[in-house]
Amino acid sequence: MPPAPEILVPALPSGNKWRQRHAVEHEAPLSDHELMLAVRDGELDCMGELFERHHGPLFGYLTKLTGNRTAAEDISQIVFQRMLKYRHTYRNEGKFTSWMYHLARRCATDHYRKASSAPIAVDPSDLAAHADEAHSADESASSRDDHALLQRALGRLDRDDREVLLLSRLQELSFAEVAEILECSVGAARVRAHRALRTLRDHYFKMQKEPLT
Amino acid sequence: MNCQSCREHMIEFADAKLDVETAEGVRAHIGACEECRSEFESFTLTLGALDAVPASPPTHRLRARVMGPIEAEKLTLRNQAAWASSIRAAEVSRPRRRLPWMAYVLQAAGVCALVALGFILGERTATQRQIADLRARVDTVGQLVEQSVLQKRSTGDRLETVLTAASTGKPDERVIDGLINSLAFDPSVNVRLNALSALYGHADQEVVRAGVLACLPREANPLVQVSMIDFLVATKAREASPQLRKLASDEKANADVRDSARRAIDLL
Repeated sequence: MPPAPEILVPALPSGNKWRQRHAVEHEAPLSDHELMLAVRDGELDCMGELFERHHGPLFGYLTKLTGNRTAAEDISQIVFQRMLKYRHTYRNEGKFTSWMYHLARRCATDHYRKASSAPIAVDPSDLAAHADEAHSADESASSRDDHALLQRALGRLDRDDREVLLLSRLQELSFAEVAEILECSVGAARVRAHRALRTLRDHYFKMQKEPLT
Repeated sequence: MNCQSCREHMIEFADAKLDVETAEGVRAHIGACEECRSEFESFTLTLGALDAVPASPPTHRLRARVMGPIEAEKLTLRNQAAWASSIRAAEVSRPRRRLPWMAYVLQAAGVCALVALGFILGERTATQRQIADLRARVDTVGQLVEQSVLQKRSTGDRLETVLTAASTGKPDERVIDGLINSLAFDPSVNVRLNALSALYGHADQEVVRAGVLACLPREANPLVQVSMIDFLVATKAREASPQLRKLASDEKANADVRDSARRAIDLL
């Protein structure tokens, strides 16, 4: 009788008891929800994996929302810190990404509140490295590049409009989840997103027709 | 489907996020309504341009700024877990002052225990089962206390765990350590007071008195401080006198706490 095939469990970092215990039960990678439940239960190593999975999209969202990479990085940092601090409030029901963007929304609101009363510190290296992404001071010298145009058009939207539109662009969120994050009904979220898109389109198309400066 | 409903669903239609029935309704409307078709085309162009805006990654500083606090939190959790254990270890290693006749009493007790053992052996099976049940229950409570304190569940959950621990007749070391940890570290005054109340039942253990005494300088809430002082008086913890004197003369301490410390010194 041939020997039974050996079940190979991938090597895991030492001290990561939760993952070791669950590696046998789950062949597929752990979901975000499972990772966050583990974080809530004290396995803080899982927070690192959540960071790896989500910091890129979160930073992208916040960059478009604020139009400022330095602010987006600061807010991203605060979002992950709050996840750690308020991990015990994470519940079994619900979805991790909804919770994360809900926190992001609050952090962004706090940021705007602070920014309205104090000047924002900008790292000069950011300006040099990403000058093409800034869409405030150097707008007069803009090209007809579609990305730059779109960024400028986005910058002309109200913050609430920008927020609902950008949330609706996140593939992992349904409109029901967007509505949950914005604390409004699904119908209201749809109407707001539609209006925001119409405004963006109008700005974008108008800018495309503007003569070169 | 009318024009308004169709337009409100256009974003989801473009992203293929609609259910089959609604998507079919939007498709049919766009096919029939020129105005909505034109709107949908312009929306598709705008959304395409929005999605195409490149999202460059953040700098490496973000990783460092997020990972640093995670490591710090892990260290805090480890230190908290070790705290109560260190009190127990210190208590165990502390030399005991015994009365000279204590050895004879212990020998006599040992002989009595041996005689009693003969009687007990007859009922051993039933007793062992009861002890196993009790241990299993205590073990579960111990795990609950450890988890709720160290992993920071909601205040209600932590309070419930402390109350469960309080109702356990003969808790093991982990339950006691968990309660002392709650008293030392729990952010809720209510949970800390209940943990202290639960510890009253085990005040005969030196580790409990040492634990409460160790928690006293950490405590900032006057209500809990006064309750701790009452505990030390009720359990006749004479070793608390130096710390109580320090507290009584501390001008930064709450006036009620200072009075309470002075009274405790007199009583002890």
